[in-house]
This record gives sequence, structure tokens and C-alpha cells, in this order.
Amino acid sequence: MKSVLHRGPLAKLGDLSETRYWVYLLLFPSLILLLLVVAYPTLYGFVISVREMRLTRPGLNGWVGTKHYVAMLSDRVFWISLKNTAIWVTAAIALEVAMGFVAAVALNRNVPGTKLFGVLILLPYFLPNVVAGHMWALLLDPRLGVINDILVKVRILSSYKAWFADPATAMAATIVVEAWHGFPFFALLFLAGLKGIPEDLYKAAAVDGAGPIRQFRLITVPMLRTVITAAVILRVISLVNSPDLLLVLTGGGPGNATQVLSLYAFQTAYREFNFGYAGALAVVMFVILMVFATLYIRLTRVSKD
Amino acid sequence: MANLSIKDIQKSYGALKVLHGIDVELEDGGFLVLLGPSGCGKSTLLNIIAGLDEPSTGEISIADRSVTALPPKDRNIAMVFQSYALYPTMTVERNIGFGLEMRGVPEQQRKAEVRKAAEMLQIDHLLQRLPANLSGGQRQRVAMGRAIVRNPDLFLFDEPLSNLDAKLRVEMRTEIKRLHERLGTTIVYVTHDQIEAMTLATKVAVMKGGYVQQLADPRTIYERPANMFVAGFIGSPAMNFIRGKLVVEAGRSRFESEGVRVPVPVSGAAPGTRNCVLGVRPEEMKVTTADNAPIKGVIDVVEPTGPDTMVTVRVGDHSVVARAEPRFQGRRGDPVAFDVDPLSINLFDAETEERIVMGSVHQDA
Repeated sequence: MKSVLHRGPLAKLGDLSETRYWVYLLLFPSLILLLLVVAYPTLYGFVISVREMRLTRPGLNGWVGTKHYVAMLSDRVFWISLKNTAIWVTAAIALEVAMGFVAAVALNRNVPGTKLFGVLILLPYFLPNVVAGHMWALLLDPRLGVINDILVKVRILSSYKAWFADPATAMAATIVVEAWHGFPFFALLFLAGLKGIPEDLYKAAAVDGAGPIRQFRLITVPMLRTVITAAVILRVISLVNSPDLLLVLTGGGPGNATQVLSLYAFQTAYREFNFGYAGALAVVMFVILMVFATLYIRLTRVSKD
Repeated sequence: MANLSIKDIQKSYGALKVLHGIDVELEDGGFLVLLGPSGCGKSTLLNIIAGLDEPSTGEISIADRSVTALPPKDRNIAMVFQSYALYPTMTVERNIGFGLEMRGVPEQQRKAEVRKAAEMLQIDHLLQRLPANLSGGQRQRVAMGRAIVRNPDLFLFDEPLSNLDAKLRVEMRTEIKRLHERLGTTIVYVTHDQIEAMTLATKVAVMKGGYVQQLADPRTIYERPANMFVAGFIGSPAMNFIRGKLVVEAGRSRFESEGVRVPVPVSGAAPGTRNCVLGVRPEEMKVTTADNAPIKGVIDVVEPTGPDTMVTVRVGDHSVVARAEPRFQGRRGDPVAFDVDPLSINLFDAETEERIVMGSVHQDA
């Protein structure tokens, strides 16, 4: 009995660590953090999507039910944004995958100097979107852009072109900028994937008589399939979500030529201060992205088996 | 089927020389084992034979045809890898038939030959599976199937059994030997396992540091190792080494060390003394009660293994192991004496560690 009386708080904690409540106690701090920064804002977003919340007309604030969602159906800009999002994301990722693949295959050769190139090739990815955006805005500037200058000098263009101001070229120009910015992400993941392919497979294929093209098609591509799929899904999620590059380059214009969902929601909230409608747009994006998130989780589970 | 000729193969990676002039001849239907510790150059040599790596100098001929400049696919070889290197996205059937597919063999014929090979290896029920759904032993069989279906001039095995558990390894070893006897194809086999070398080879090349230390049949390698490295690498427990002196006087010679006095059949040696090392295999040490026994010591450890009992004995400064009969009685601290057949021992030069050739008695290879 005496020993029990002398037990301090640490000993009590020790006792607690033997019980099944211990695990919850350890999870508690990070759980609180997640609730605060993830769960609460998400739920709040859902809540304001069924409410009116205009900073410019506070008198209207209150419950409106599905009003915003109904309005969305007949909102021309919403449908353009949806279409543009699909085009922008698909085209940018297609380019990024292609460029990333080429870069990864090139870097995977054991040629001296590839380590340096490996770092150099990552530089675009290190740049914040906003910085990259401003840099490209300058490069493509209609009055003093270097690229215009070069294109005119090699006589591809007869005069300087305002790439981002022309509805015919704005989308393509932003896609190229995004591809430049995002391809190192794929290069990095593909390179890791390539390094994970056992050398013996290529040796076996060489002995079996498969040339480089067949080796690529029958070994490299299938072995990278999981990595490619996972990287594409992750990139879809991040591209659908980030309006910053377009915000800097075009602001969604000219007209709505480069308007995408994330940028539309952003502008609705912070330019028109119509948080209710912006919330509804965000919920739609949430649903779309949930599809990709589910795919990703499925995929990672499958590849674990 | 074909012979293999390796002539003065050298290989350097930059300043690092990994093969120093390898010469090996292997007869048609022979089974050459390249044996050595990791980093000895055996896998590099195999890759050079396969054409997966280029030699710096030297020449490889298969079936009396120089293949040094040919890519792997034109050498008519088949290779089994340590990792099996099965194509993960292809079924067993396509894996085995892939080499035939690449050579444009029509599907009908391909299927028939794949089935034949699969039946020989008892994996015909697995043909539609993917490699991921096979056990280690089954993968190993598929890898072998992929090799034999091609009916090549030469099989190359790169440590094919080292990823298997002990029991399966013994089974597959027997299987490979059976396969070799059945097909009669020339084989080059890389391993660091001396048991595999002893059981499978018709010829063993023991390698170390990019040199072939000894090239001979397994029996010779075991009984007459060319130097102390080969002697110590082959055999388990390893050959006992006892440092001492070779004394030659009046036409008779003997090896002497503390607790050891073994007559040595040296003929025609000049009288005198020289430092050397006695090599004696554990199973050649026979427990005896004779007073004039050549080796005397004190028991240190007794380890019954079932078929034998291993007895570690202190002889002078040396610790030696004897393979005694299973019911050997003796305890730590007991004195013990051993008889050895003078013809079974080997002497090595204390400086060069090369075996000292002991005259006509030894029928040296």
C-alpha cells in the first residue's frame, strides 16, 4: 500500500499508456489541428453555399437554400469555366507528362553531368506560381517581350504579338507556361519510377531479343503505369485547385477565354465579395475533385497489394 | 550445344580493373561454375559472356564462333537471373515464350514449345498466371522455362538459387543438375555457394579480385586447392590451417608445429627448413588413441550435428575443427589425438600462400 501512495504523476501517465485510451490521447493534438484547419473551413464552405453572404449588401444575408446552385445552371460563365478547366487541365497535364517523361528518361542515363541537370530541371518547379507567372508575362510581353523579339527575328512573326490578349492564343499560351512550370513534378516522379525498374528486366529483354523500342513499350511503360496514374491524379487535383498562374497571366480574360472554375470562384469571392455564390462554386469543385481523390486512394490501395 | 572459349578477358571501369585476363575453356556440354565472394568479378564475367557488358580486351567464342562483337540476342544464349527478371505485366506463358515471340516464331509453334518446357518443369498449370501470383520456387521455374524453351547454345545462370529458402534451394539444385543431364546444354553458372559449385560443376573457376585462382574439376579443387584462398573458400567447416615448419632431412620430410608432427611425402626436396602452413580438412582428422599420433590437442567445444559431431580442438596456438563420428564421447578439457593420412594433407607456402607441390605422390592436375 505504501508504494501506491508514493507514486507521482509520471507513474499515472505510465498506467494510462497501458490502456486502450492512450492511442486517442496521442492522436488528440493533431486531431484538433486537422479539425481547425481542414474540417471547419470545409464545412463552413458548405454552409455559406446555401446562404446569401454579400459583403456589399449585408442586408440580404441569410438562408437561401439551393438558390446559388440553381443560378449556376443558367450561369454562362460557370459553364465556360467548367469547359476551360477541363481543357486547361487536360492539355497542360498531357504536355507535362510528355515533357516529364522525356526529361526523366534523359536523366536516367548514367551520363556524367546528369546530376547537375537533375537539379536544373527542377528549377521551374521551385518557383512560386506567381513568380513564374510574372516572369512569363514579361517574356511574352507585347511591347518588350524577349520571345516576341526572337520570333520576329527568325521571321516566324511579322510583328510583336499580345499572346495573352488574343482570345485565340491566350489559352494556349497559359497552357505552355503551366507545362513549363509543372513538368519537373512529373520528371521527378518518373525518374524515381525508372530507378525502381530492376536492371535485370532490361538485361533479360536484351537476351530475349527485344530492342530499345520494345523494351520501352513492354517494360518501361507498364512498370511506370502506377506512377503515371498517381502523378496525373495528384496533378489534376492541384491544377483544378490553383487559380494563381491564370490570375497573374490573364485574370481569366480576354473576355472569359481563360476563365476556370478556381479563378471564377476566387474572383466571385474577392472581387465581387459574393461569398455565397463563390462557396457554391467551391462545393462543385469539391465534388469534382472528390472523384479524383477517390481514384487516387483506390489506386494506392491496389498498388499496396 | 556448344563449347565456350574465354580468351584473355580484361575489364576496367575507369581506373578500376575488375578482370585481369581471364582464360577459360569449357567443353561442349560442360558445366562451368564461376565461384567466388562478392566483388570477385564473376558476375561481370558472366555479363561479358552474355554480351550485356563489353570487355576492355579479349575474346569470347561460343560454338567456335567469335561473338565478342555481337549483341546478346545474336549469341544464341539464354540467361537466368538472380531476381528471375520475369516481366511483371505478362503471363507465365508469354514470359516463357517471349524470346520466341521476339524471334518471330509463329504463335501455334510457340505455344506448343512453351507447353513442352512448362511440362518439363511442372509449371504447365500456371501458364495463365502473372508472376506476382507465383511463389519464389515457381518464379524460379518460370525463369528456367524461359531459358530452356529457346534451346540455346549456352545457358547462363546468375546466382539463380540465392533468393530461395534453404529447402527449396536444395530441391532446385537437384532440378538444375537433372536438367543439365537431360538437355546436355553447356552451362555457365555464377554462385558464391561452394556447395552448388561442388554438386553441379564439371569445372569450377574459383575467382578472387578479378583473377581466376584455380580452374579445375570440383574434386581437384577440393582435394588439391591451388592456394590458401581456394582451400579456405571451399568446404564447410573450412580447411584447418596450422602454421609451422617443413623439415626436410635425409630424404624424409615432416611438418612440425606445436602439438603437430606429420610425415610429408615430399620427394626430391633439398634438406632444410622452411615456414609453411599445413592444410587439413576436418573429415581427414581421425580420432585415435595411438601414442605417436601426428596431431595432439585439447578439446575446446563439442557440437553434435546429427550425422557428425564437430570437435573444436586447441592444438598449440591453433584452433582446429575435426569432423568426428556422431557418437563421439569427449568433453571440454579432455586431451585428444588425431591421425591424418599424409596423402590427404596440403602444404602451403607461408609467404605466397600457394600450395607446395609435393612430388609425384600427388598426381597433380
